[in-house]
Amino acid sequence: MSDFEPKIVCFSCKFSWGYLANETSLSSQIKNWIPIICSGKVDAKHIMEAFKHGADGVLILGCPEGDCHYQDGNFETKKRVQLLHKVLDSYGIEPERVRMELSLDPEGKRIPELVKSMSETVRGLGPVRQI
Amino acid sequence: MVAKPKVAICWLGSCGGCDEAVVDLNEAILQVTSAVDVIFWPVALDFKYHHLEALEKGEVALSIINGHIRNSEQEEVAKLLREKSQLVLAFGACACFGGTPGMANFRSKEDIFNWVYRDAPTVVNPKGNYPQPRSQANGKELTLPEFYEQVFALNQVIDVDYYLPGCPPPPDLIANAVNAVLEGKLPPKGSTLAPHKALCDTCKRNETKPDKISIKDIKRIHEVEASPDTCFLAQGILCMGIATRGGCGESCININMPCRGCFGPVEGVEDSGAKFISALAAMLDAENDEEMKQLIDKLDDLAGYTYRFTLPVSLLQRKRA
Repeated sequence: MSDFEPKIVCFSCKFSWGYLANETSLSSQIKNWIPIICSGKVDAKHIMEAFKHGADGVLILGCPEGDCHYQDGNFETKKRVQLLHKVLDSYGIEPERVRMELSLDPEGKRIPELVKSMSETVRGLGPVRQI
Repeated sequence: MVAKPKVAICWLGSCGGCDEAVVDLNEAILQVTSAVDVIFWPVALDFKYHHLEALEKGEVALSIINGHIRNSEQEEVAKLLREKSQLVLAFGACACFGGTPGMANFRSKEDIFNWVYRDAPTVVNPKGNYPQPRSQANGKELTLPEFYEQVFALNQVIDVDYYLPGCPPPPDLIANAVNAVLEGKLPPKGSTLAPHKALCDTCKRNETKPDKISIKDIKRIHEVEASPDTCFLAQGILCMGIATRGGCGESCININMPCRGCFGPVEGVEDSGAKFISALAAMLDAENDEEMKQLIDKLDDLAGYTYRFTLPVSLLQRKRA
């Protein structure tokens, strides 16, 4: 287990996360970082695809609650994630492996930290169990 | 006289409902049998596997195969039929997607054996006997098909030319499919011989669907007296129609039961469950996390509900190596 390095896929909304940062330098620090326009774009399918392609965890960064540029995309995805937790659990994928953080960080400084902390959580869980 | 095209109909891991659906063609089956030679149909006629083995490669014009694959016998027969057939039609939800038995993929083979042969309250098995592919009795070796780790859809084991979903497929689509083969008017290989749109498209309750569905309370069909004319989702009853291919003839909807998804995903969609979850999340009318949790807690088996017929072909299932 000690050499297990969790693969985390991070979707982050460009409206709140890292829009002032240099995307190239930030992406060199974070593997599998996918900046998107609105966290509401993240479909249940995208999260499942991430696991299918070998992810051990998925982190979604959205705008603060009530501050979505498109009214409520962040909250819609939050609802989706809550439903998905229940389905993923049946596949043996623990709810902790899909996390959503709603906050504001134009410099994107916290993104590598959040990915790291997610990695630590997932490291404790080990690789995704195959059913 | 020109020889009639040969047709094989076979059940693998199946309940027999799909074969019954063929019989349900009623008088039309007489037209079919006058146009083709049924050379193999284990549930209805006394043919043996060696009759199949004796055929030339490609001698069978069409094999209609229903049922999933979970053991070595089913795999062997599927491969034999593939070898002897020009066309293979995956018939019914089990052959197309793994079907209801595919939900067993949420459990391991070990879990299933332990329950069925050890832990179920009706089991008396003091010696702890489990079925073995090979065993000895009176100096003779007995064999059983090997039970696989998981359920497979037909196209996870053999090459499939066409798909006709449903639990079971309705008579009009069966007749269309057989006629299309006989007349050589088939769509491209890999097509599903059913409409492309979602069930809602033809559901007569669609007129009563509000512009925006907001579900404040999830109800189950047996808990309420559902209106026979109103959209189920508008009544707070989960219905898979939004994420399910149409063409079934709305047989469930017509008897006031919501769609369960036996026609699988609509054209171009790989995982109907994921689509349904995304759509359902948008419909749930919760103001905050707490309200959302209350709604979700009412869903006893969401994964079972969304993947009732399609688990083996869902995104997160292992594909056969």
